[in-house]
Amino acid sequence: MFSLFYGLWNYIFSKTEFHVLILGIDKTGKTTLLEKLKTLYSNLEGLPPDRIVPTVGLNIGRIEASNTKLVFWDLGGQSGLRTIWEKYYEEAHAIIYVIDAACPSRFEDSKSTLEKVLRHRDLQGAPILILANKQDIANAVSAEELKRYLDLKELDERPYMFEAVSAYDGTGIQEGVDWLVEVMERSKRTEMLRVRAGVTGPVSI
Amino acid sequence: MGILFTRMFSSLFGNREARILVLGLDNAGKTTILYRLQMGEVVSTIPTIGFNVETVQYNNIKFQVWDLGGQTSIRPYWRCYFPNTQAIIYVVDSSDTDRMVIAKDEFHAILEEDELKGAVVLIFANKQDLPGALDDAAVTEALELHKIKSRQWAIFKTSAIKGEGLFEGLDWLSNTLKSGG
Repeated sequence: MFSLFYGLWNYIFSKTEFHVLILGIDKTGKTTLLEKLKTLYSNLEGLPPDRIVPTVGLNIGRIEASNTKLVFWDLGGQSGLRTIWEKYYEEAHAIIYVIDAACPSRFEDSKSTLEKVLRHRDLQGAPILILANKQDIANAVSAEELKRYLDLKELDERPYMFEAVSAYDGTGIQEGVDWLVEVMERSKRTEMLRVRAGVTGPVSI
Repeated sequence: MGILFTRMFSSLFGNREARILVLGLDNAGKTTILYRLQMGEVVSTIPTIGFNVETVQYNNIKFQVWDLGGQTSIRPYWRCYFPNTQAIIYVVDSSDTDRMVIAKDEFHAILEEDELKGAVVLIFANKQDLPGALDDAAVTEALELHKIKSRQWAIFKTSAIKGEGLFEGLDWLSNTLKSGG
């Protein structure tokens, strides 16, 4: 009996923990974004951009936003390291895909890499926030332009948003996170992950 | 090199006692790495409990080294060295493809330890100077590093003999520990 109420209590009051994967090719600013998120949303002071080195592994950031716990997984983007991304897909609630909006010569690489991510069946229905990063640089393209360039066919099956941000100075990040939390809370994928984790709430007597 | 190291790690832990475990199979290059870092004298001890632990005391950080693998009867004693461990440096002989599976199993077994749950993990894909050495992506795959999901990790290609890659790795480590692990 106790466990029943305990389960109910947990179901109603516990904060869900969302896993968000930060992906993108190398040098787009994924770790800078992660550190900025830490600075903005936790009491930890994130590393300043000049202390950040290329990631060859996994960085983790835990924050709380809109009364929700978010765990960010920031994976290295160098081409040899991209093979491990898919190992994290199954448990991800959503994706942030970072693109260097000031570096058109690498748009093609970003596009084909993103298409591969979107096609992966382990990411079915996962909401995706696509960031046109480095808006602090003068010639960065807008979110609209980037969207037109990428011309993605696979996006319709999932919630998505393009957002112009600067991980360097923080522009646009809050809007992106707000959107992400909102869509994750009501996405089918979240429901699916919850069921798979065995947390079916008070119905399981 | 020693000065660089001082700058990186001084004040990192304040006055707290901290521990960094340097682990790996025998012959992975752990002791060579410690000597390369030139932090102090490597003291080798063979305690009565029967396994050999090397220690380098550097300010308030203790670097402690022992071989994984082999005898299972002494493993419970490893736990004496787990408390206050901030980081694990796992050293792999990248050219020893035959024993890569053992290296993987031992690695994941040690990560299961409760007292090491909070430690960040730095992997040195060592012996890159040898022919046939696996690169960082291949070692990542072989050690199944993707199974690590609740702590930060990074892998660096190193050659302890040539002194390559070690400081890049330690730089990552000190940054990571500073930004809250």
